[in-house]
Amino acid sequence: MKIVFNKFRGVIIRSSGLVAFLALWEIAPRWGWADPQFLPPLSSVLKAAAVLWDDGFLYTHIIVSLWRALLGTLLAMVIALPLGFILEGWFPSGSRRLDPLFRLLSHLNPFSLAPVFMLFFGIGELEKLAIITLVAVWPVLFHTITGIRTVDPLIIKTAYSLNVSKLILIWDVLLPGALPTIITGLRVGTQMAVFMLIAAEMLGASAGLGWLVHNSAMLYQVPRMYAGGLSIIVLGICINQIILRIERNSLFWKDSIEFLGQTNRRAVNFTNSLYVPILIGVIVGILFFGGQEVNRVNSQGLYNKDNMSQHNHPIKVE
Amino acid sequence: MSENKIPFVTSVQEKSDKIVARNIHQVYKIKQQDSDSLTNFEAIKQLDLTVKQGEFLAIVGPSGCGKSTFLDMIAGLAKPSSGEIFIDNRKITGPALDRGIVLQGYALFPWRTVRKNVEFGLEIKKIPEKDRKDISQRYIELVGLKNFEERYPHELSGGMKQRVAIARALAYDPEVLLMDEPFAAVDAQTRETLQEELLRIWEQTKKTIVFVTHGIDEAVFLADRVAVMTANPGTIKDIITINLPRPRDGIRSSAEFGWARHKIWELLQNDPSAANKVKPEKQDIADFISPSAAL
Repeated sequence: MKIVFNKFRGVIIRSSGLVAFLALWEIAPRWGWADPQFLPPLSSVLKAAAVLWDDGFLYTHIIVSLWRALLGTLLAMVIALPLGFILEGWFPSGSRRLDPLFRLLSHLNPFSLAPVFMLFFGIGELEKLAIITLVAVWPVLFHTITGIRTVDPLIIKTAYSLNVSKLILIWDVLLPGALPTIITGLRVGTQMAVFMLIAAEMLGASAGLGWLVHNSAMLYQVPRMYAGGLSIIVLGICINQIILRIERNSLFWKDSIEFLGQTNRRAVNFTNSLYVPILIGVIVGILFFGGQEVNRVNSQGLYNKDNMSQHNHPIKVE
Repeated sequence: MSENKIPFVTSVQEKSDKIVARNIHQVYKIKQQDSDSLTNFEAIKQLDLTVKQGEFLAIVGPSGCGKSTFLDMIAGLAKPSSGEIFIDNRKITGPALDRGIVLQGYALFPWRTVRKNVEFGLEIKKIPEKDRKDISQRYIELVGLKNFEERYPHELSGGMKQRVAIARALAYDPEVLLMDEPFAAVDAQTRETLQEELLRIWEQTKKTIVFVTHGIDEAVFLADRVAVMTANPGTIKDIITINLPRPRDGIRSSAEFGWARHKIWELLQNDPSAANKVKPEKQDIADFISPSAAL
């Protein structure tokens, strides 16, 4: 009983700040501490979100944004992972020499270069994917290279003593050894991809969470704007938590696991658990349904739905 | 080089030569202080050594005498500047599965279970999965790790990790086992247990073992012959034949053991690089000859 209480106490303490913040959000506009025109109470924001969801628009925006972020990150992985392994595996001195160039390129802010991207790729999906990929590719590449460099040299020496081929060395030694670092890079890359995606959608798009926020702001639909912002935050947290989980599980063999205060020495068997199939299923699902929505939105426009009239009604603050 | 025989030596068994190293030199180009010109640094000079079939040979020497480098050469991981090493009359050009290596730092794959670690060499050898399991099981039991097959290295103690490393090196059935200070990182008690286990495994598997160490006790306890190396330049000063009876359990307190130990200790004493670091007599010899070895 006491243990349960203690557990709850931990949850209460940890969430108290969040609860207080949300309560303040609800109270401040109602009690006149803030202008409800600019800061509608939480309840009307949630109501706006619910209306959006009922109309099916929120789903469209979320899945479209997810599709872009995921595809961009996957593209970045497809480019950065082999590049990292080729550079480190075959030309380690070359990769050291290219380091400054990569560092320079990684500081290149794609948002500032967005007009250039528009010139080259137009304002379509290609432009957004290019921006996201360019942002996400560097963290993945750096972490891949760092991960390979920090694989225990004794392990590599042991593998060499067995006269292994380069491919086996990469697949059986370097990749698993570098995997935790690579996943960290993936998390950083995804985070940056989501940030950049929102910005890119604001610049020019016909759907997506970034567009939702921007469009709502332009139309002065403040609760809807907040609903969009809230969705972005929730989406970001979800993605981050999922990758953090993968990261933690991939780290199980590291000597001391003090990951976010949790001491988890139990091994997670990737191959035998449902983990990987579920993850792949989610990725394929997002790619499939997201692709459908993106196609529809781009060919017919967002409002080509029966309930478009409702959507254009400004939502009143109560 | 003279074979330095100890009085109680009875007979030296004649066996065929397994490993023959001839005229090994290793020269590094190093930058001298205050000048840009490169000078030659002789890490290994004129090293000749023959290891017989089924023999347990230990190489003892201070840090930096090139004993680990020489072991890497036998493993095919390093190339001598000049000289040749033959194994079964074939020149060593690179690493191969006829030699297994055990390093000081375990070097286990942390993401693989004990079984998967032991099976690594078998996978490289492309042995079918079913046979792999039988073989790995046999070697896991040989090193006394039954019931630990599905554990990960981070769940094992240092001694157990080293057992896994030995099982892994033995599993793909190499003819020669090369060991580079394998027990330096474990505590004294575990080390003695592992030494006895190693002798038992050696007698069961009949492998040729080249064992690099800085511990004189360890070398005398384990080996048929002990090659004493000195540094600057690294070369074999003498080879002592240890003809203590086997099994050697409890032999450490015998007079003969002490005699052989003292003989090697004296040889290392004459090393000019060690002479200027004189310490009190009572000091442990292992500490004396290798002050940098962190035990």
